[in-house]
Amino acid sequence: MSKPPVLRAENITKRYGKKVVLNNASLSICERELKILIGPSGSGKSTFLQCINFLVTPDRGRVWLDGREILRTHKRDLNAYRQKVGMIFQDFNLFDHLTALANVEIGLTRVRKMGKEEACEKAMQELDKVGLRDHIAKYPAQLSGGQKQRVSIARALAMDPEVMLLDEPTSALDPELITEVLAVIKDLRANGMTMIMSTHQLNFASEVADEIIFLEDGIIVEVGPPDKILYEPECERTIQFCSKMRELYGNSR
Amino acid sequence: MGEMDFIQNEVLPSLFEGLGTSILLIIPSAVFGLVIGVAIGVFRVFGNPLTEKLASTYVAIFRGFPLVVQLFIWYFGLPHLGIYFSPYTASIIGFSLCSGAYHSEYVRGALLSIKRGQLLAAQALGFTRTGTIVSVILPQALRRALPGCGNELIYLIKYSSLAYMITCIELTGKGKIIASETFKFTEIFMIIGIFYLVMTTIAGRLLQYVEFRLEIPGFEHYGA
Repeated sequence: MSKPPVLRAENITKRYGKKVVLNNASLSICERELKILIGPSGSGKSTFLQCINFLVTPDRGRVWLDGREILRTHKRDLNAYRQKVGMIFQDFNLFDHLTALANVEIGLTRVRKMGKEEACEKAMQELDKVGLRDHIAKYPAQLSGGQKQRVSIARALAMDPEVMLLDEPTSALDPELITEVLAVIKDLRANGMTMIMSTHQLNFASEVADEIIFLEDGIIVEVGPPDKILYEPECERTIQFCSKMRELYGNSR
Repeated sequence: MGEMDFIQNEVLPSLFEGLGTSILLIIPSAVFGLVIGVAIGVFRVFGNPLTEKLASTYVAIFRGFPLVVQLFIWYFGLPHLGIYFSPYTASIIGFSLCSGAYHSEYVRGALLSIKRGQLLAAQALGFTRTGTIVSVILPQALRRALPGCGNELIYLIKYSSLAYMITCIELTGKGKIIASETFKFTEIFMIIGIFYLVMTTIAGRLLQYVEFRLEIPGFEHYGA
């Protein structure tokens, strides 16, 4: 069980002005693992994920992929690293001027310099995997929220990432659409994708996570397997948070 | 009917010649102006502090100096520094730089309207900054800038009439010469006015067509 981690982030700290949004947060993840970040809004989950691929520049902290440290000042290394770490955003961030197909193709043709035909074929495959074969010609404005999020997952998968970061992928969706996106994520999990995900879906977390990380006020309060964090947490704050979430969304057991 | 004959035989051929010159001034100035405008707009929004400052200064100067004064500097002023431009070249330089300054404001506004998430998503895929701007931001922003830039192109058609002030005799210049020879100011300038009206109408239609061709779901213009 002592496999080296695929991705490791250590002592990530981020301040906005005087407010410390993330304080010395560390995390490491091995191949095929799924770790889930939970915590109240504003606890630093998004910041943590965005610091991991340097969309937000951390004030302090280091990140390694496959044992190699990523130096964000090396633009070329950074861009190569970002190709290997797929990111899913809460509000999808599909490219609004491109069809679903073109959204998936563009990273392949412009970043990976793949030929147009090959890129098209791969993009079709990825969209097929997320069940959107019939919607490839639609623009984001013509897709439902769940479909948009699935396109964005296909777009990230097309780059063949080693790790995926999912930043509250279902928070902007209404309840019916959440299921279709969670199903895709479960599929990824079953196929062995390594993932770090923040979410408020505790039921989902308890079902699929290898480990749950509870974050509050930028500090990692408690880490452990789902059964422990969700049902027998040690810290007072974790107990409060989990029972409140269960009141809202119902108990999974 | 002598009047009509005179206009048909003497005035119109001369004005058409001027119109040709006007068109030769407008088209390159429009193209250069747009290119400059997009570049300056991008520098102002995505540039480093230095290029941002330079671009802002450029806009301040070229929007701040009256266009006639700019033309005088290009044509009458620079020869004192040993730089000579033909009236035609000086006009194109003047128009392009002035037009670019105005375009850049429309482009800047459009760039600022693109949500940050678009930039983040491209970066997360491994796009370089330039790649993000070229492949993701500009295609969206230019669609939004089009109505404003179209407005500027229409202006350009009309302010091309200033070229005659630096002896580049285009439509208005021709008209002024004939008018002062014949004293038929009203007729001749009415005709010239109609010429410009036709040009701006055609340009307006073309722009509408371009907007229509580039329209995609999510970027359409609502309303009638």
